[in-house]
Amino acid sequence: MAPTPPIDIHGLRKTFGSTVALDGLDLVVEPGQIHGFLGPNGSGKSTTIRILLGLLRADSGTVHLLGGDPWADAPALHRRLAYVPGDVSLWPGLTGGEAIDLLGRARGGIDKARRDALLERFDLDPTKKGRTYSKGNRQKVALVAALASDVELLLLDEPTSGLDPLMERQFSEVVREGRHEGLSVLLSSHILSEVEALCDHVSIIKAGRVVESGTLAQLRHLTRTQVTADLASTPPAELASLPGVHDLHVDGTRLTCQVEDSGLAGLLARLSSLGVQALTSSPPTLEELFLRHYDESDR
Amino acid sequence: MTAAVASRTSAGSSSRYAALGLLARLALRRSRIYYGVWVLALVATLAATVAAYERVVPPGASAELTMKALGGNPTMRAMLGPPFDLMTPGGFTMWRVGTFAAAALAWMAAFGVIRATRAEEEDGRLELLRAGAVGRRAPLAAGVLVAVGACLAVGLLSAASLARTAPPAGSALLLGLGIAAVGVVGAGVGAVTAQVSESARGARGLASAGLGAAYLVRAMADGSAESSALRPLAWASPLEWAALARPYAGDRWIVLLLPLLLAVGLVALAFRLEAVRDHGAGLRQSGRGPAVGSARLASAAGLAARLHRGSILGWTAGIVVFALAMGSLSDAFGTMMKDLPELAEMFRRMGGGAADLREAFYTAMLGLVVIVLAMLGVQTLGRLHREEERGHAELLLSTATTRQAFALSHLVPALVVPTVLLVVCGGLLGLNEAIGSGSSAPVWQVAGAALVLAPGIWVVVGVAMLLHGWVPRLLGVAWGLVGWSLFVAWIGEILGWPEWLISLTPFAALPALPAEPLTWTPVIVTTVLAALLCVGGLVGYRRRDLG
Repeated sequence: MAPTPPIDIHGLRKTFGSTVALDGLDLVVEPGQIHGFLGPNGSGKSTTIRILLGLLRADSGTVHLLGGDPWADAPALHRRLAYVPGDVSLWPGLTGGEAIDLLGRARGGIDKARRDALLERFDLDPTKKGRTYSKGNRQKVALVAALASDVELLLLDEPTSGLDPLMERQFSEVVREGRHEGLSVLLSSHILSEVEALCDHVSIIKAGRVVESGTLAQLRHLTRTQVTADLASTPPAELASLPGVHDLHVDGTRLTCQVEDSGLAGLLARLSSLGVQALTSSPPTLEELFLRHYDESDR
Repeated sequence: MTAAVASRTSAGSSSRYAALGLLARLALRRSRIYYGVWVLALVATLAATVAAYERVVPPGASAELTMKALGGNPTMRAMLGPPFDLMTPGGFTMWRVGTFAAAALAWMAAFGVIRATRAEEEDGRLELLRAGAVGRRAPLAAGVLVAVGACLAVGLLSAASLARTAPPAGSALLLGLGIAAVGVVGAGVGAVTAQVSESARGARGLASAGLGAAYLVRAMADGSAESSALRPLAWASPLEWAALARPYAGDRWIVLLLPLLLAVGLVALAFRLEAVRDHGAGLRQSGRGPAVGSARLASAAGLAARLHRGSILGWTAGIVVFALAMGSLSDAFGTMMKDLPELAEMFRRMGGGAADLREAFYTAMLGLVVIVLAMLGVQTLGRLHREEERGHAELLLSTATTRQAFALSHLVPALVVPTVLLVVCGGLLGLNEAIGSGSSAPVWQVAGAALVLAPGIWVVVGVAMLLHGWVPRLLGVAWGLVGWSLFVAWIGEILGWPEWLISLTPFAALPALPAEPLTWTPVIVTTVLAALLCVGGLVGYRRRDLG
């Protein structure tokens, strides 16, 4: 029997008054996956996570979290997961260390050694009061509290939006280390580079539904490779009519175009026969994928 | 220091107050309901008291008797202030509700200034405004300005209404402006405490402590025997100054200089303090704390205990001081007025209670304290609401904490803490009599009388829990219930309202010991009602969306 996916959502709907926040959302996170949950502000990422946390009740659809019902079994399930919100609000009179210990203990226990190691790695002073932390440092407090517990699943809602690049790298490393221990992660973000660097699986959410989901490799198949080539002479015009070649531009002897995976071999064969002197090809970025979905309908 | 020097050299007064008009309009816009309700309630209270005069003091009553009955009753003096001339509607109104209205206005102004300044600063909104072309002093000045405007509105509207119903107009104006001037002192108190504390909660606590102390000083002075050395201390309490200006009883306009000078001094102090502190900070730098949470900080209950600690300590200190001070007044009662049985009826109409002065005193004090402690109950439960609003609930509920445990962590203290303080207050009120008589009986009797009133607090907290469980945005209704109870307890009786309307509070049905005999039915019914409300609220809280 295959292990139960930590997150298994089908046909999830949630409305607030007349606003439809989630409109038949499907999302499956397999064990050990670091799953990127991509979408702009207001697309329904946080609503999904808050339903997973049992803070909001689903209108319809099925939601399984670690094999249980996130609404009815919330406290028991929460022993096995940790959550970091995008906008962390701390108790103004409690120190960071106190908040970390409170949240860790309320979850069912905290690994003291790991807590101290994380404080060191994130360069966080635990003796300051909650009201005196900057946004980034409040986020670090929540991250340390989440990562210091021994859990199976992390729910991260734009967890690095306040972190500087160095801390963001620390964060990525810690998450990757956790993965070796079988940790599953749902990471919501609108920062494409973060998802690209960290996640092996991506779902793109748009207006309350998932419009694209798969491994990065699978998704890249859906898009085109950017090719730039310097040739010995002016490229012939018929290159543009090769199968799978799009948006061909010529600037002197330099040519740029976008190529579908199926057309790559044919193009490269033609280029080498024309005497190619320099060639760069870059894989499609997540950004292009993302923009494709968000541009098409808006036009 | 550099900031202060720079502002002195580079900026004239106009730029320090830049955008004052804009900020004042914003402060008014954000608190129009807050001030609107206060202004209407206070003006209506004064007008209604004038109208009630004829009924309370029948035309035939002998002036001497009325003065003796009312002016000599230490309970009423302590609660309401010194009577100077009760034979005119205006003089009677000043005594019966004037000092109370002045104190209420001071609280309104203090909390209003804190609301417009420190609370905005704490929530980060003021930072956005200050980034614009806004003068350094403008936010505080705007908050004070709007509060002063609200005080003047109460004073002038009351004066206008009294000028017709309780002439002469000059005395009416003095009464109105006297009350307004005490309110302006409150605005100054709010302005100063908003600089001292870095949280709005702390500022409100400090302001309440200051104003509460002022009320206690005047209650002690007015309630003590005529020959007592404490009597002149009344001049030390700003809340008494409106009464000491003696509207309708000599009209001493010069006394109004006292509140005005004090208010100017306080506001000037606030501006000085504002100039030497950093934005977002209080006067004291926020210290560091423990790097590790103590073992008790391990659950919702542990967190709630920590969050409520400061408030519980402050309220306990206030209640203990109040009860000891008021209890010490009971000495004089045994001998005073014992031989005037014909006054019992007059007392009853005045809301003073039973024939036995000491019992009436205990009953009146407990009736007041129980409502004030109901405020503590709502405030404590309100923390559950704030925790959700601020996103702290989300953090805690993403752990293994159940919603029930989280709600109970605030509901239990909201029920227990006011109850304990109420009983303690009762016991301490009776302590002085116990020491005098050599028997501990008064302590237990008054403590028991206090406990019997506790179900009223539980109903108020239950209503708050029910609202928070089902429709959290209507939590303010619970405050309305407390305000209504206080209003009815204070002047409902003299306004001659129908009995059913007066008894429409959670406290009215409960037996007012020791003046009334103990009846169990209302105590049990009220307790059961409170339990149902709490359970109903918890059920709703487990079902609704959070955040």
